[in-house]
Amino acid sequence: MYDVRRTLKFQRDADPRWAEEVAARPGCEGLFSCQQCGTCSATCPLSLYMDLGPRRVIALVREGFRKDALTSQTVWLCASCYECDVACPRQIRLTDLMGSLKREAARCHLYPRRFPVPVVERELCEVISHGRWRPESWRILGAVLRFSPAELCRLLCRRGGLNPPRGFAGTRPSDRRCP
Amino acid sequence: MTRYAGGLPGVAVAREYKYMCSDPGQELIRQDIRDHGLDRIVVAACSPHLHEHTFRQAVALGGLNPYYFHMVNLREHDAWVHTDKAAATEKAMDLVRAAVRRVKWHVPLEPRQVSIQADVLVVGGGIAGIDAALTLANAGKHVYLVEREPTIGGHMAQFDKTFPTLDCAACILTPKMTAVKAHRNITLWTMAEVRQVEGYVGNFSVTVCRKPRYVLEDLCVGCLECIQACVYKQAKVPDAFNLGLGKRKPVYIPFPQAVPQVVVIDPETCIEFKSGKCKKTCVEVCAERHAIDFHQKEEIRTIQVGAIVLATGFEVFDAARIPYYGYGLYPNVYTALEVERLVNASGPTGGEILLRDGRKPATVGIVHCVGSRDEHTNRYCSRVCCMYSLKLAHLIKEKTGAEVYSFYIDVRAPGKAFEEFYNRVAEEGVIFIRGKVADIYPAGNGDGRVILQAEDTLLGMVRKIPVDMVVLSTGLEPRADAAAVRRLFNIGCSSEGFFLERHPKLAPVNTFADGIFMAGCCQGPKDIPDTVAQSGAAAAQALALIDAGVVELEPNTAHVVEDACSGCKTCIPLCPYSAISFVEEKRAYINEILCKGCGTCVAACPSGSIRQNLFEDEEIFDEIEGLLVPA
Ligand SMILES: Cc1cc2nc3c(=O)[nH]c(=O)nc-3n(C[C@H](O)[C@H](O)[C@H](O)COP(=O)(O)OP(=O)(O)OC[C@H]3O[C@@H](n4cnc5c(N)ncnc54)[C@H](O)[C@@H]3O)c2cc1C
Ligand code: SF4
Ligand code: SF4
Repeated sequence: MYDVRRTLKFQRDADPRWAEEVAARPGCEGLFSCQQCGTCSATCPLSLYMDLGPRRVIALVREGFRKDALTSQTVWLCASCYECDVACPRQIRLTDLMGSLKREAARCHLYPRRFPVPVVERELCEVISHGRWRPESWRILGAVLRFSPAELCRLLCRRGGLNPPRGFAGTRPSDRRCP
Repeated sequence: MTRYAGGLPGVAVAREYKYMCSDPGQELIRQDIRDHGLDRIVVAACSPHLHEHTFRQAVALGGLNPYYFHMVNLREHDAWVHTDKAAATEKAMDLVRAAVRRVKWHVPLEPRQVSIQADVLVVGGGIAGIDAALTLANAGKHVYLVEREPTIGGHMAQFDKTFPTLDCAACILTPKMTAVKAHRNITLWTMAEVRQVEGYVGNFSVTVCRKPRYVLEDLCVGCLECIQACVYKQAKVPDAFNLGLGKRKPVYIPFPQAVPQVVVIDPETCIEFKSGKCKKTCVEVCAERHAIDFHQKEEIRTIQVGAIVLATGFEVFDAARIPYYGYGLYPNVYTALEVERLVNASGPTGGEILLRDGRKPATVGIVHCVGSRDEHTNRYCSRVCCMYSLKLAHLIKEKTGAEVYSFYIDVRAPGKAFEEFYNRVAEEGVIFIRGKVADIYPAGNGDGRVILQAEDTLLGMVRKIPVDMVVLSTGLEPRADAAAVRRLFNIGCSSEGFFLERHPKLAPVNTFADGIFMAGCCQGPKDIPDTVAQSGAAAAQALALIDAGVVELEPNTAHVVEDACSGCKTCIPLCPYSAISFVEEKRAYINEILCKGCGTCVAACPSGSIRQNLFEDEEIFDEIEGLLVPA
């Protein structure tokens, strides 16, 4: 499958009010003072795996490109090590900002495509924002079903002495929208 | 507001006008005085600092005594400090009511006139001080130039070339330095510092302390034979002028073109001072001139001057304060000022760019904004580092052919011919990477190379670039003793610690102390062209003051009511300006010229027999009552 992304941005894609709303959250106050110097991306120990890096996430957020920011892998790769937070010359609390974006993404079910969003983090967000609590066994079953149904089959088959079917494709996490 | 003010008791007319300080606005006041026969005027507008004088003049032109006027500061005291509009409007009403009640007590006053001393003191002998001193001296004023170091020249003397024209710093600076020494109107005191400042505009009494140099300036001819003769055969002491990159002997001259051309003996390292048992070969070789004097003492001089120009310059940011840049840890990480010395023909390497191990660098990284534009160090932009980084990039490339990488956040090249210079350097092949360096660490193969890590924000990728040499473009900071100097001269400073100008646009070289002006980097980071422009402006301001011959002082002085004074002497030690003396008829006497109107004695007098113009009891009490009691 080709995954062609449009790189032209129309102003209607931007939501400046959202940017202001983010900047009003605790810890995110410095958003608009970013000077795009890249210190955060250069200090981040994980930025070599990130699609955008913290600097570009900031740029997207303050322009109000909500969906691009929330569906970035960067938000979920952030390990909250606070390296960027300490180094940022504008003393922007990037880790708090990342946390806030994570929570919003989980609340609105906006996730990066084809990317294993940390299960625990997501579940926690769901519990906090939706009060939805599922028993652990249920969750494990869900996770196995999602990421490796073949393995489940294999397990069941071994018990029952059957041969596992070949070429069983796993389901992809659906691209769910915010209600 | 206007309606409210118009209804206050005693108010004949109240008006609103957008630009009251403009000519038509002032004419309005004059017209009203004539039409309504007004005898007191209150203006509620901006700060008295800005326009009290303007309105007093308008009132005087309208035929009233200017001190029948009172100004209410609705700007700093109200509009600028509140966000609640309704409450602020109410406060404005209170302030106006208070002023109206106070002003009826005002009495006619005349400003005091005092004569002015014609001499000028210039503090600091960098390019700013040198230029101001020469301008003043050329105008026929006698100038005392006080410099702390053994030579004048300041930072500019340490540079090789100057941006953007790349003219040689020494070639344009040394003629001015020698002109200072040769000028008959300039008294140059090096190794000197101001200890005390007394008096007021036009009549300052300044105490200067000259530290011993252990060489008599009048006798030394600058032959430098003593340096040759010193018992130290090799220069061993790190040389401050070369920032420790070179060595000097205990007897030395800071650099070949130093002014005055007089050697200095450093008592910290001289054997004679430490043990008293040196052979003193320096004295032997100077036998004819007897210029060396180990017993020279500190010298205190007091001078009378009419105006003061402060030109104490800046200090370079200490790069060791940013630990992740490794300055002081990795030998190949240099500051820009150190590199200025390395490229300089009179520097420690004779103008060759060599690393500490003697190698020529093949790749060089220049890191902008070190200690600038960073909340952890200094928030402000240091203004010159982008440009001197470009200059150093050019010089390094020219001298070594090295690959030069310049890491910037934004290149600030806003001056005349600056952008063209930037273009030229880019065309020469210097590689510009937009991104702040986040880390510098050793490459790990033991050859002294370090890796610069930064995000190339234009590519959106993190880059790691190994280099042989790092140049940290350190910012400009206020001098470590700026706060002490500021207190000495009784002037203000801005939040970052540079001296504060009276008005950022309209009085950029004036301080809040009348008669004290400033020029150069003590006011804020700036390049040499701007520094020289400012020193010219400061000199002109000083000339305008002195050539007026007399100065008018506010009549807000205190005076003793003769019969009421009991002679208890409480006030005498309290006066910060020593303006009160005791006269024979058993009463205190206040010298009006010395009195600054601070009001300390007025408040302290137990018998209430000291009164102060413009702050009479009735005026103050009625003003307070006006504030508290709604009309
Ligand atoms: C690395 C570097 C490179 C630069 N390159 C350029 C360039 O190429 N072109 C350009 O235009 N600008 C350049 N600049 C900027 C330039 O240095 C300044 O504009 C200029 O030096 C300011 O001069 P000044 O006289 O105000 O200060 P200073 O040069 O700092 O002089 C101040 C003098 O006052 C003396 N002093 C300080 N305190 C006292 C005291 N309390 N009592 C008595 N004396 C005192 C000091 O000893 C000093 O001699 C550069 C700056 C740096 C850091
Ligand atoms: S380090 Fe701070 S100022 Fe620099 S790009 Fe990152 S968030 Fe912006
Ligand atoms: S002049 Fe350039 S290098 Fe210096 S602080 Fe400003 S932006 Fe940074």
